[in-house]
Amino acid sequence: MSAGVESSIVSLRDVRRDYALGAERVHALQGVTLEVERGDYVAIVGPSGCGKSTLLNLIGVIDQPTSGTIAIAGKRVDAMSDREATQFRLRNIGFVFQRFYLLPILSALENVALPMAEAKVAKVARIERATELLRYVGLGNRERHRPSELSGGEQQRVAIARALSNGPTLLLADEPTGELDARTGAEIISLFQRLNADGTTIVVVTHDEDLASAARRKVHMRDGKVVDA
Amino acid sequence: MRGSLALASLIRHRARTVLAVLGVAVAAAMLLDMVMLATGMRESFRELLLSRGFEIRLAPKGTLPFDTDATIPGVGAITATLRVNPDIREISPVLGASIHILAGNRDVSGSALGIDPRVQGDYELLSGRDVTRPDAIVVNDHLLSQVGASIGDTLVVATGYDAQTRTYSGQRKLVVTGRVKFIYGANDQSSSAMRRETLEGMNERSRDRASLFMVRVRKGANAEAVRDWIDEQLPNVTAISIATAIAQVDERLSYFRQLALILGAVSLFVGFLLVTTLVTVSVNERAGEIAVMRAIGVSRSHVVEQIVLEGVAISFAGAVFGLALGLVTARYLNTILSAFPGLPMAIDFFLFQPRAAWSALGLLIASGVGAGIYPAWRAASLPIAESLRREAIA
Amino acid sequence: MFALLVASLLVQGSPTAGRAPAPAPSLERRTIAIDEALAARAHLRVGDRVSISSRAGASGDTVIVGAIVRRGADPSEVARGELRVRMHLDQLQAIAGYGDRVDRFAIETTPAADIPRLIDRINGVAFGFKAYRSRDIAVETSRTFQVVSRFHRAIGIITIVASSVFLLCIMVLKVEERRRDIAALRLMGISRATVVRAIVIEAAVVAVLGSALGVLLGWATSLLVNWHYQALYRTPLEFSMVTPPTVVFAVSLSLVLGIAAGVVASLRLVRTPPLALFGR
Repeated sequence: MSAGVESSIVSLRDVRRDYALGAERVHALQGVTLEVERGDYVAIVGPSGCGKSTLLNLIGVIDQPTSGTIAIAGKRVDAMSDREATQFRLRNIGFVFQRFYLLPILSALENVALPMAEAKVAKVARIERATELLRYVGLGNRERHRPSELSGGEQQRVAIARALSNGPTLLLADEPTGELDARTGAEIISLFQRLNADGTTIVVVTHDEDLASAARRKVHMRDGKVVDA
Repeated sequence: MRGSLALASLIRHRARTVLAVLGVAVAAAMLLDMVMLATGMRESFRELLLSRGFEIRLAPKGTLPFDTDATIPGVGAITATLRVNPDIREISPVLGASIHILAGNRDVSGSALGIDPRVQGDYELLSGRDVTRPDAIVVNDHLLSQVGASIGDTLVVATGYDAQTRTYSGQRKLVVTGRVKFIYGANDQSSSAMRRETLEGMNERSRDRASLFMVRVRKGANAEAVRDWIDEQLPNVTAISIATAIAQVDERLSYFRQLALILGAVSLFVGFLLVTTLVTVSVNERAGEIAVMRAIGVSRSHVVEQIVLEGVAISFAGAVFGLALGLVTARYLNTILSAFPGLPMAIDFFLFQPRAAWSALGLLIASGVGAGIYPAWRAASLPIAESLRREAIA
Repeated sequence: MFALLVASLLVQGSPTAGRAPAPAPSLERRTIAIDEALAARAHLRVGDRVSISSRAGASGDTVIVGAIVRRGADPSEVARGELRVRMHLDQLQAIAGYGDRVDRFAIETTPAADIPRLIDRINGVAFGFKAYRSRDIAVETSRTFQVVSRFHRAIGIITIVASSVFLLCIMVLKVEERRRDIAALRLMGISRATVVRAIVIEAAVVAVLGSALGVLLGWATSLLVNWHYQALYRTPLEFSMVTPPTVVFAVSLSLVLGIAAGVVASLRLVRTPPLALFGR
């Protein structure tokens, strides 16, 4: 499911991220250096407020560092324009959120097809691929259902299928089991393992011990720094 | 896909969408009415003036036709002078006078036009015959009902009344030969017409005089040039082309044009405000959704496009309903204004002109686009990470 | 109809501009008063000599412009664009060939006079004329303005209906924007009535503030309208008046509409189960 030539998919060098919170200045990341190899399955763990979500957002090119460099699949992403970053995300990054964030007005199939529509994939092709993806995540019979008609676990699986729709280099997940009960969470964990076994490079941020244990590598963070990679 | 997304979003909030469409429809109706008002009178008046094909009118110096009781002397001489110009095809001198119709012990007052039935441009024959005989008179329905007469009846008509001696002068018996509709007549006036020589004969002071000349120019001739020529040749009359007449009426009714402009602008502004508010609320609600779309790689312009499409859809639907609503209210308002005393029946204050109407409604829809762009762009430009974080907290 | 002017000479206005007329003018050089519109149009000033006659192009009497006069505030004359001249009665009668005739007499009575009785007495001995109360004639000639008034009223009604729709629309949108806040309050145990009351009070405050702003705007616009049209038509007539009853009506109506819109908008939301408002 992933593509690419070099072995290091994600490369962060001395990345810092500061932002203003009212009158104060928050140092969310204080010089993070990190590498993620192709085919790796990394879990970033740490207490609340340690900067793990901030780190994930930077890797996912939905935020920009205050300083430092970030390269994804060999391409520098830390200083991209909005347009370049958007295009890059569309084709290279798949994002899964804690709260699923499916569009409520679209069916499961349409939600999965949305990124492909943006990438100008022909209608027939994108319907076909979306169907295939939904089958892959075990929702082949729920294509026409709206998110409100799906359980939490089903919604998250649709979200994962959506993240995979343009065949991304990298799959990022921010607390993907945060809103799910233990049993459903276990289903998602197993899906991630299957994805990684099929070749997808995955980086997850999580409090969930089970999810963290299922990963191949754990990166511990504290106070904006990587303490153990 | 963007179109269907926009439509789905509107359907999701049905009540809100319906209210917004209704609001825009009302704004569109008012805008349409004001456009109709601004151009209606002028166009309506112009059509009226042109209806019989007389492009130039001659009135006593410094007056508008029938504005005063003044008359122009020397009908024969003036007609001869005008005939010299090869561009002039027809000349219709008209004499106006007040008349009294003696019906038993009642006196019905009205107005009379002395015309030449071959070239007259003042009335349309509805039934009966025109004034081909010297003792013939044609009247409108209002006068007929006032007098209680019908075609074929003989009326005693006088042109003068001395209040001191209570006697009538210039009396003559005339036979009602036809029922007519006066083009320039108000609906509450008792009006009649007879041959000009007959009316002159009933009033010594009107001999060889006219209240007005109507002039028809040759097809293809320049009416303004003919008007200028008449001005030079006949300095004792005022020659009024249709453009001049319209300009003068315009001046008198300028108030309505100004009102139309102001109310039209306000309607447009309110329609704009409504769509802006709707779009702003809509994007504020969907901040998270918008952030996610950006996160999965949908470009800013595509996000804006989808949101703006919603605004356009509402404006378009509103414009369509507004068109129907506007036509109905215009008819109602026109009925009110048609009661203006002394106004020709044929004048409409609100006239539907397709080009003006489509331009106005097009402007409204375009403003719907503009109204949606700013809030949509702002929403699509919010930092993605921050929006997601805010949504997570919310 | 020149003689219409005569009545105004007897009872109305006095010159508002110009130098004092020359003492005891001879019959050949009598004075006339002209209105502002004529003065502007013909570029005349006090002291100018003009020739006046009843036929275009004919030679007439030479007179001196003695005064420039502002016309009274007569609504029926406003847009007609007539130019007015005031002359000595006998001179006008001579020029117009009227002889010893007038179109009308205007009569000013003492404050204590019994007008109806006076009119009856005059009509009892009248021969060739009739007496009317000025007020009754004014009503007859103001049909134009009755039509305009009706038109304004219709526009006013349409504007109110339109504004109500807009207000309701915006109110619904704005209240819906706060659905999560409302849901949170309801989940906390705040009653529907309290929530509705809070929104309605907010709507009422906004309505009052909006009305105050609207009254100010209306008053300023009224000044502008009067300034513009008084200059345009050269008349002291007031075209627009903001009166206390008007203000009271406008404020009351907007308050009622604002509160009604708030009630409708809030009731819609409090009837929805709180969790549904959260989108679950």
